[in-house]
Order: sequence, then structure tokens, then C-alpha cells
Amino acid sequence: MSEFELLRNITIGQYLPTGSYLHRLDPRPKIIAALLLTAAVSFAPTILGNACLLAACALVVRLGRIPFGYALRGLVPAVPFLVILAVLQLVFYGRNYDPASPVIFQWGWIVVTAAVGRLVVVSAARFVELLMVTSVFTLSTRTTELTLGVESLLRPLRPLRVPAHELALVATIALRFVPTLALEAERLLRAQASRGGSLGGRRWNFVAAARRLLPILVPLFTFALTRAEELIVAMEARAYTGGGGRTTYSVLQGTLRDWLAPAVALIFLIVLLRAPFAF
Amino acid sequence: MTGDPGAVTPQSPRPVAASAAIEIEDLWHTYMRGTPFEHPALRGVTLHVHDGEVVGIIGQTGSGKSTLIQYFNGLMRPIRGRVIVAGHDLGSPRADVAAVRRAVGLAFQEPETQVFERLVGDDVAYGPRRLRLPFHEIRERVRWAMEIMGLPFETFKDRYTFTLSGGELRKAALAGVLALRPRVLVLDEPTSGLDPRSRDDLRARIEELRDREGMTVVLVSHDMEEVVRLSDRVYVLHDGAVAASGSPREVFGDAARLAAAGLAPPEAAQVVQRLRDRGYPVREALTLEEAETALAALLERTR
Repeated sequence: MSEFELLRNITIGQYLPTGSYLHRLDPRPKIIAALLLTAAVSFAPTILGNACLLAACALVVRLGRIPFGYALRGLVPAVPFLVILAVLQLVFYGRNYDPASPVIFQWGWIVVTAAVGRLVVVSAARFVELLMVTSVFTLSTRTTELTLGVESLLRPLRPLRVPAHELALVATIALRFVPTLALEAERLLRAQASRGGSLGGRRWNFVAAARRLLPILVPLFTFALTRAEELIVAMEARAYTGGGGRTTYSVLQGTLRDWLAPAVALIFLIVLLRAPFAF
Repeated sequence: MTGDPGAVTPQSPRPVAASAAIEIEDLWHTYMRGTPFEHPALRGVTLHVHDGEVVGIIGQTGSGKSTLIQYFNGLMRPIRGRVIVAGHDLGSPRADVAAVRRAVGLAFQEPETQVFERLVGDDVAYGPRRLRLPFHEIRERVRWAMEIMGLPFETFKDRYTFTLSGGELRKAALAGVLALRPRVLVLDEPTSGLDPRSRDDLRARIEELRDREGMTVVLVSHDMEEVVRLSDRVYVLHDGAVAASGSPREVFGDAARLAAAGLAPPEAAQVVQRLRDRGYPVREALTLEEAETALAALLERTR
């Protein structure tokens, strides 16, 4: 029972070492496989297709030896929004969305067509699938691996003046700062609560609610800026000069076994999009 | 050494004296419960803080000190164990947490990082304003808190917070907690990271709070010298459990037990102890001043 443990519900940006196949996978094929899965999630429009996707995602979680409860924990804070979204879709889409679709439920001015029902189920499923894919990806990939992988994948674009190394570094730092900022926000929430502050109260009063956030936001910004400055000094102190002429401590060596993952993901994507699902 | 005056044995549960401001019985805590990262922080802590005393809590990094003090003002609620603060049972879902937070003022490590207002006076007044006190009452409290922390009200109230030195800013942040006029003041590492002069100054302020205002204080510290100087009673935490408790003299007298908890007596006490071990007739001492007189006496005798 602790209202101040924010990090318990944040699974993005954490690394959970279980030594599974996914953890040992070369980051480059892993990134491609994750992107292919994400594409499958985004483009599969049918309920049956999403059922297959859910099963596939569950399989991936299993493959990464990550506890299901933990992979889905990020869902906890999002549930109210998902429910509201679903209700809004059900109530207000009516006949506007795909008018040709048969009506399955009607009560007064509320009309639910088959197409809208499918949309609600599919968008909820998509959210869960995306959460599983991103959770498993970050939980099984160290930030250094992620940087190296992104950098290596972007390298062919260098003639087009794409700063591969810098982009990868920016993404890494952003991810790495998520738990750090969450911890700091947690600390500030506690500190201000100890001084009589609270975030509760009349929520409909936006001005008052924003004012209540100030004692958290102002020090949090200061903290973030200070940390950024410290990071700059630490990098300068280690003679960081950007990507040019930089060698790495660990060299990525993808084997055929590593490329099995994106190959399977690609086949899955093609089959899923080609399969004639009835609904 | 574990002769805690308010201790309750599991066999004979008897009500603790009503004067206890904070009563904690067999408290357990686990971090990140329900995730693969979960780890225990407290394993059956029993501790009492009585009105008017200064209780020191010492222990290695990771021994559970900072977790424990979050139970003192209801930031954490017990799942296993009993926590009663100022008469409120925090284990009950209906406990008046707001009243508990008014009774116990908690200042975290490096409290200066939570300062957010532009003017010092406004930041100190944040707590009292949240209590919706009348204007003159707020002003009086802010004045009192700032003066006792050694920041003269008239000179400092309209200073920009970013122009203060580190030591001044810390005192301003502590004044912000004091302005709530708590029954118990909990300080987590109040002097860590300060320069020697600010540290001595802040210690003197805490002493003044104890002696002049009779404030009940819980002091968490790594600095043994500080704990000896300020505390009436000391608890030693080790691995989430109370390894020893008693007066500073009792606790720091048992060097073996302290060492087992990863701690050592203040340096002055160690010097005197080594002399005694080598057979010098020198009186036992804990603080620097005591060591000084003991050594002076020794020199007098050997001359």
C-alpha cells in the first residue's frame, strides 16, 4: 500500500536479466523483429488476426522468460483511459463509421454496428499487444546494445548525412532518463506531501490543479537540467567527441541464428495480412 | 542493551505509554512488491519515540533507515506490523493521514532540492498556507521557523532562493518543515554534504530546538559524532532490523556489536579506547570534548 511507488508501474526503460534467447539476440535483428511485430499490430484489422497476434505476443513474452504479470503491469495506470475510449467509441461512432455495416445493438440514439464493435475490440487488443512488444523489447535489451544496434542499422544512411550515432545516443539517453525522472518525481511527491501538499482535491478546477503541480514540476525541471549538465561534463571529461572515428568495446556479431527472429516475424506478418479472416 | 523502555514482548501485549509519539511494532516492508525487482527493506522493526526526546537512528547505507522514517508520517502504510503515530493507527484504512503529517514533520535528504518558490519567505510559508491558516498566523510561524534556523526573518524573507548558499538553502528548507509546527521533527542526514562551518551551525540549531523548544526529534545520520552529541537514545539498524538500542553510551560502548552492524564509534572515542586497550589509565569518552578532558587528565597524571 504505497501511493508513491511510481516505478512499480513503469516497465519501459527497465532491464530484466533472465538470460533468455531474446536477451542473447543481436540487437539489430531484434530491433527489426520488434518493428515487424509492431507493423503487424498496426495493420491487422480483424478480431481473429488480433487473437493470433495476442497469442504471438504471449509467446514472445514467454520466450523472453519475463513474468506475464510484470510485462502487463504498464497496463494498470492505462485501464481507465482504455475503458473511457472504448465507451466513447461505442456510443458516438454510430453509423458514421462504415455505414454499410449491420446494426447489432440499438437503444435510443445509441447505435452499435458490427464494424464499431470490431473497432473497439481491435483497438483494445492493439494496445495490449504494443505494450507487450515494447515491454519485452526494453526488458530484454541493455541500453548500450540498443544504441549500438540503432547506430549500426542507421549506418547505411550516413552518406545522406544522417547522424546515426548521435540519433542513437539521444534515444538511449531519453530512455535511460525515464526511470530516473520517475524516481525523482516520487521523491518530490513525498517531500511535498510531508509539507502538507497533495495532488488530490477538486480535479475539475484546472487552474488549481496545475498550481498544485508546481511544487513538483519546478524542482523536477531543475533536477532534469542539472542532471543533463552533469552528463555533459561527464562526457566531456571522457573526451567524447561524437560518432566520428569511434570504436566500440563490444563488437556486434550477428549469426544466422540471430536473423531467424526477424525472418519468423516477417513470415508471420505476411501470413497475418494475407490470411482471409472472416471478422 | 536492547532494554527499550516501551518494548512489548509478543507474549504479553500491553498498551504502550500514551506519551509515545511514534510506536512501531514488528514492521516489515518490501520494495517493488509484485515485480521481479522486489527486495525486503525492513524485517520486523520495533521502535518507540517518546515526547521530548531526541532519537538517533544509525546504520549502513541500505540498512532501511530512509524506508523506516517514511512510515513516521504516513507516506507508507504498514501491510505487516503496527504503526501508531500521535495516536493514529496507520494500519487502519480510515486513519487521518493529514493529521499524522501535521504531527510529524519529515525533512528528506538534501531538502534544498524541493525548494520551488522564488522567494525564501514564500517557500517556508508553503506548508502553513496549505493548512489554510490565517495570514498573521502564517507570518508568525514563518518568522519563528526562520529565526530558529538562523535566517533572520526581515533580511531573508524577500531574498531569491537561488541566491542563497547551499547551507542557507538547506536551513530554509528545514524551516519550511518546522513552520508546520510538528510534534515530532524527523531529519534524514540533515548535515550531509555541507561545509564544516554550516554543519556546525546547523547542529547548534538542532541543539537549540531540543533545549529551548523541547522539540521531539528523530535524527537519521551517518555521522556518529553528531548522533552522540544530539541524541538521548540511539537505534542501530542492520539489514532492516534493529541490531541494538539504548543510550549513546550503551550503544557506542559495545564496539563489537557496532562493528557487526558495519559501524564504528566516533573517532575520539576510538582513540581513547585504544589507549585503554594499551593499559593507559584514561577515563572512557564518547565526544570530542570528553576525550579532550580525559586526555588532559591523563597527561596531567603522567607528567
